[in-house]
Amino acid sequence: MRNSTLFLTLICCQLLICASFVLHARVSRASAGARLASNRELVRRLELTDLCLFTEARYTRHPAMADRHAAFQDHPMALEHFPSGSLVTPPDFRREAP
Amino acid sequence: MNRCIERHRNILDFALSSLLRRKGKNLSLLSVYTLIVFIIASIVFFTQALKREAALVLDGAPDLVVQRMVAGRHDPIPIAYRERIAAIRGVSEVRPRFWGYYYEAVTGANFTLVASNDGQPSVKSVFIGSGVARNSSLTEGDFLPLRDVKGTPVLFTVGKVFPSASELVAADLIQMREDDFRTLFDFPTGRATDLTVSIRNKGEVKTIAAKIAQQFPDTRPILKSEMLRTYDSVFDWRGGMVIVILSVAVLSFIIFAWDKATGLSAEERKEIGILKSIGWETGDVLLMKSFEGVVISLTAYLAGVSLAYAHVFFFSASLFEHTLKGWSVLYPQFRLAPVVDPYLFCVLFFLTVGPYIVATIVPSWLAATVDPDAAMRS
Amino acid sequence: MARRDGGPRRRHEVLTVIELIEVSKFFNAGKANQFIAVDGLSCAIGRGEVTILKGPSGSGKTTLLTLIGCMARPTSGRILLHGIGKECLAGCAVGDTVEITSLPERFLTSIRRSAFGFIFQHFNLVRGITVLENVMLPAYPTGESLHEVRRRALDLLETFSISRHAGARIEQLSGGEMQRVAIARALINDPVMIIADEPTAHLDSKLSIEFMEIVAGLKTAGKSVLIASHDPIVYDAALADAVIEMRDGRLVGGGTRP
Repeated sequence: MRNSTLFLTLICCQLLICASFVLHARVSRASAGARLASNRELVRRLELTDLCLFTEARYTRHPAMADRHAAFQDHPMALEHFPSGSLVTPPDFRREAP
Repeated sequence: MNRCIERHRNILDFALSSLLRRKGKNLSLLSVYTLIVFIIASIVFFTQALKREAALVLDGAPDLVVQRMVAGRHDPIPIAYRERIAAIRGVSEVRPRFWGYYYEAVTGANFTLVASNDGQPSVKSVFIGSGVARNSSLTEGDFLPLRDVKGTPVLFTVGKVFPSASELVAADLIQMREDDFRTLFDFPTGRATDLTVSIRNKGEVKTIAAKIAQQFPDTRPILKSEMLRTYDSVFDWRGGMVIVILSVAVLSFIIFAWDKATGLSAEERKEIGILKSIGWETGDVLLMKSFEGVVISLTAYLAGVSLAYAHVFFFSASLFEHTLKGWSVLYPQFRLAPVVDPYLFCVLFFLTVGPYIVATIVPSWLAATVDPDAAMRS
Repeated sequence: MARRDGGPRRRHEVLTVIELIEVSKFFNAGKANQFIAVDGLSCAIGRGEVTILKGPSGSGKTTLLTLIGCMARPTSGRILLHGIGKECLAGCAVGDTVEITSLPERFLTSIRRSAFGFIFQHFNLVRGITVLENVMLPAYPTGESLHEVRRRALDLLETFSISRHAGARIEQLSGGEMQRVAIARALINDPVMIIADEPTAHLDSKLSIEFMEIVAGLKTAGKSVLIASHDPIVYDAALADAVIEMRDGRLVGGGTRP
């Protein structure tokens, strides 16, 4: 079998796989819809404000509610030592009292 | 037309046999390339999916949250503020929120405690998240001891475990009755953790927030849009560890494309000379070289992206677990809804396939333009 | 130029396939290390004949080969092709004669590919691929069906008795076998003329004689053969129809205008 035929077949297979993933994404959206709706409902009922991603410390768990500087939350010498602190940046634009 | 196709196929055949001749080198090149695309694509899939999840789910979050600040730090807010805030035009409802953190020394996990009578938890009964259940090996009906401020253990019964589909919002959650919450934390009477405000007309949120800040200088209002923007910055490419991983991936790619670009081996140069001498034109040689580049980069790109999709959406991004988990004891199981953003993948395609093909053609250019008679003299 | 049968060259007896008129080739023209490889050379190569270019190394034989084979352009002078090349310039050429010195690059390459087959001194075979693929290589860019090309290649290997090596790598062959592969490769596009540069330089006497026998076969098949060599086995062979002797880029023994 010619090399080029083999290669082109391989590429076609890969493209098919990618296409099937795109289809999978579309299809999952429907089933995901139900899950997302129930989660949204839970958030509404319990009045939650954040996703549960980083549970190491208070300021990483609720970044939307956190004080401006994550470090110094506990005491002045508390330097940032959680790795997720580098992912969770301080919240944008806080409206402090004038 | 047919001749044109045949010519391309013939040259592709030769390019492939050329690559197969140096199997080891090209296989390792392919693996590295695929790995880099895999990492970048995984990060893209993961962050896009989480951003979408955050946007859709947190849509149910309160319109406005009012926190009290004492000496620049968060302090429980007087519930009395409620009436005055509710009196502001446009506000439909103000509710006190009771929530906080609980550190469980036994497992080292941090739980989020929420007081709410939603779902009617009975006295000394809790609804726990699936992450809590997993962490402390609890099911419905089991006992969960929590220590109060004096250190006395208080026994709670697990009334319900939140479904695992709710991991991303409720994994570390413990919901209890309001009075149980107050007793456990000896919460000051007349205070709440913060106040949530519901606003009738969403367009007026900023105005109302400004009014609240003015009337209550010791508070800070947090808008829902600000909460969501926080998540934008967490999952954006421009943030923290994501940019570090990305930079490392891109840099290593540049290094290895540079290595390719800084010259052909003597053997490759000789081969091009031979091809020129037996009748291949400069264009044919360059076409062959570009095919060599296309074969590797296209295969690597498609394989990397497919593997990344499977990794993030079928295997819950398990490879990122260690990076993201950090020091967390309680780590949610990510079951994300797939999101495919064609724009980002086009960009990724042009950023990886494009430079690689250029890096393959450019060094060959000089060798390919050599006069065919030079081969006679070698 | 001397003919084997001793008489002067009579033009009407031989059809010319390639004609050179006052051809010169300079390298590094105008600079301090200017080098004149070919100086005002005029000659004619006969169709269907075996022509030998004889001379010591440095006499300009290789340069002349490259000029005739459309691999390089002369600095001055004209080169005319008679009866070949016009199919490559469909609709462009006038009559039967093509002057290659004034042709654009792409036509030159297409003529070279279809009209000439080259055999190099060091064989110039591609290492790491099979004998069959080496023979088929010059035909790849022409867009011809690979199936057709493969059939022709196998026929050629059969003709030179090396079909059993079709799947072998070049590195595994002996000198004589590599020589035959090089000849087969030169024939894949069914050229009008075969040009060989010092073909017996790396062969022993026995293999050199075998080579000349193969050349005889090519002549019988109607091909024109041009060989540059300083090997007596080649230029003293009875097979040679014409011998062009060169020294310092010029013809030796005068050079009659054809």
